[in-house]
Amino acid sequence: MFPIYKKELQSFFYTPFAYAMAMLFMLLFSLSFSTGIAKLDSSNTWAFSFTEMFYSVILYFIFLLPILTMRTFAEERKNGTEVLLMTSPVNTAKIVIAKFLANITVYLFMLAGTIIFPIITAMKGEVVVSQLICAYIGIFCWGAMYIALGMLISSFTESPIIAAIIGEVIMFALLFVDDIANTAFISQYPKLRSAIYAFAAQPRFAYFSEGFIRLSDLVFFASAIIVLLIWTYISIEKRRWNRG
Amino acid sequence: MLLMFILDFSIGKEQLMITIENLTKYYGSNRAVNHISFTINDNEILGFLGPNGAGKSTTMNMIAGYLPMSDGKVTICGADVTKNPMKAKRNIGYLPEIPPVYPDMKVREYLSFCAGLKKVPVTKRKSEIERVMKLLKIKDVEGKLIRNLSKGYKQRVGFAQALLGDPKFLILDEPTVGLDPNQVAEVRALIKSLKKDHSVIFSSHILSEVSAVCDRVVIINKGDIRAIDTIENLENSFTTTLILHIKVKGSKAKAQSIIEMTKGVKEITAIDADGEDVFSFTVQLEGDSDAVRDAVMAECLKNGISIIEIYTDKPNLENVFIELINRPVKKSGLQELLDETPDESESAEGDDAEDDETEKEEE
Repeated sequence: MFPIYKKELQSFFYTPFAYAMAMLFMLLFSLSFSTGIAKLDSSNTWAFSFTEMFYSVILYFIFLLPILTMRTFAEERKNGTEVLLMTSPVNTAKIVIAKFLANITVYLFMLAGTIIFPIITAMKGEVVVSQLICAYIGIFCWGAMYIALGMLISSFTESPIIAAIIGEVIMFALLFVDDIANTAFISQYPKLRSAIYAFAAQPRFAYFSEGFIRLSDLVFFASAIIVLLIWTYISIEKRRWNRG
Repeated sequence: MLLMFILDFSIGKEQLMITIENLTKYYGSNRAVNHISFTINDNEILGFLGPNGAGKSTTMNMIAGYLPMSDGKVTICGADVTKNPMKAKRNIGYLPEIPPVYPDMKVREYLSFCAGLKKVPVTKRKSEIERVMKLLKIKDVEGKLIRNLSKGYKQRVGFAQALLGDPKFLILDEPTVGLDPNQVAEVRALIKSLKKDHSVIFSSHILSEVSAVCDRVVIINKGDIRAIDTIENLENSFTTTLILHIKVKGSKAKAQSIIEMTKGVKEITAIDADGEDVFSFTVQLEGDSDAVRDAVMAECLKNGISIIEIYTDKPNLENVFIELINRPVKKSGLQELLDETPDESESAEGDDAEDDETEKEEE
């Protein structure tokens, strides 16, 4: 398992990939940061808050995470190296976990870059540290879930580009789960509404960004990640049965 | 009956390293491999021969545990590939048709990754990598990106990967494709030398290669095994198709009648005029070819026909191959087969096209 993890990290960090991703993430982050500052009038101090930047941060995720995960399995298949992994004495489940951990590592690297913004804010304005930590935990959980989803999509196809595009479409669609649940039509059936609403990740993220850590939210993200990783495993195994 | 089978198998298991029983693969309703069974002994090189699309790669993928089989069983050093994959895969070194290399890794980096993947102990890793690099002569490119290597080098890097960890059983799928003649000779010599402590199965559609390297051959076409035997036995079992070429000077009609009258001559298949009073006869013989040849010569000389040239076509593996593959399924014409099994240089383009076709079918 460790060699695969190491190899994945090498492919991210020996190439400009991880750095470019982190840079892009910081750049996008700084956009909402600077617009927030520009809105201030002279009497107020700038308070760093994820609640403010909430929607824009979500959009960055949707834009960036599929690009991070697109190569995970699609490229192995394209290079013909899937055969190497599958015929070496390593369990498929371990391959999935190793690759997930590698993606998570790069993701943490991307997140680490953004810490500069609260630090700058702390110098001149105000930062509620406990809220900030909660928000980061929330972002981490949500990102980990999207990474698992991106890996699943990457395991469906042979082309990284297709994996990225499909990933962006699906992740974008998932943003609106709570809106769908709240439409007038579905609200007529409260049970259906609550069933659909249970799948919405966005309100759960909102709790984190406001400084709440709820067990139910943690369980939601953890179970979503586990289900998606198991699904990825099944998808890889299934493809071996179907293809030549 | 069943008891006999079990008994039989348990006896065989001790001696035979790799057993393949009833291996079958369906792609949808299309049967790619049809109940094939054979064994590979210790320290043996088994050639796996067949035209393109015969099911060679599918079979090898199944033996290596990459593709699940529809039916059948593969046992490697006593471990079932499907039931005990971790143990079985530790004894396998596999070089697939396309070398499984990462283009954005350096050669040494890649081999180090593979050594980790194959669970080579950390302390031995470095010496092991040095060993395979020396064997495959890739030491001079160890610091290069695999992306920038030529096809031949990529192939050798893939081969080096298969040898890491010194697995007992090597599966090589067309290991010499894409190499220059010099490298081909080197790799063949390497495969031969591997025989000392490995069992090897290697596939090819190049006949000369198989006859140069292998102890036994399995000939396969359209998913069916057509023959399993040593090369000598295969060649000898086809002596009936012996061809005699004889070039004579003298009267055509006279020579023809003399040759036809000789005992052991089946028929004259062709007569070519090579100049004034010089004719080349192509004659099919039956029975003991040496005796018939001598008889033909004696008869000709006795009747005043001088012999300029005489030789017999040795039944080589190519004839055997074509015959074997054509025999049961008469539909696949000789021409089709000849198209599929010419020499390497000619077939390069045609092969690609056919490979594509089979890939499409398989998908």
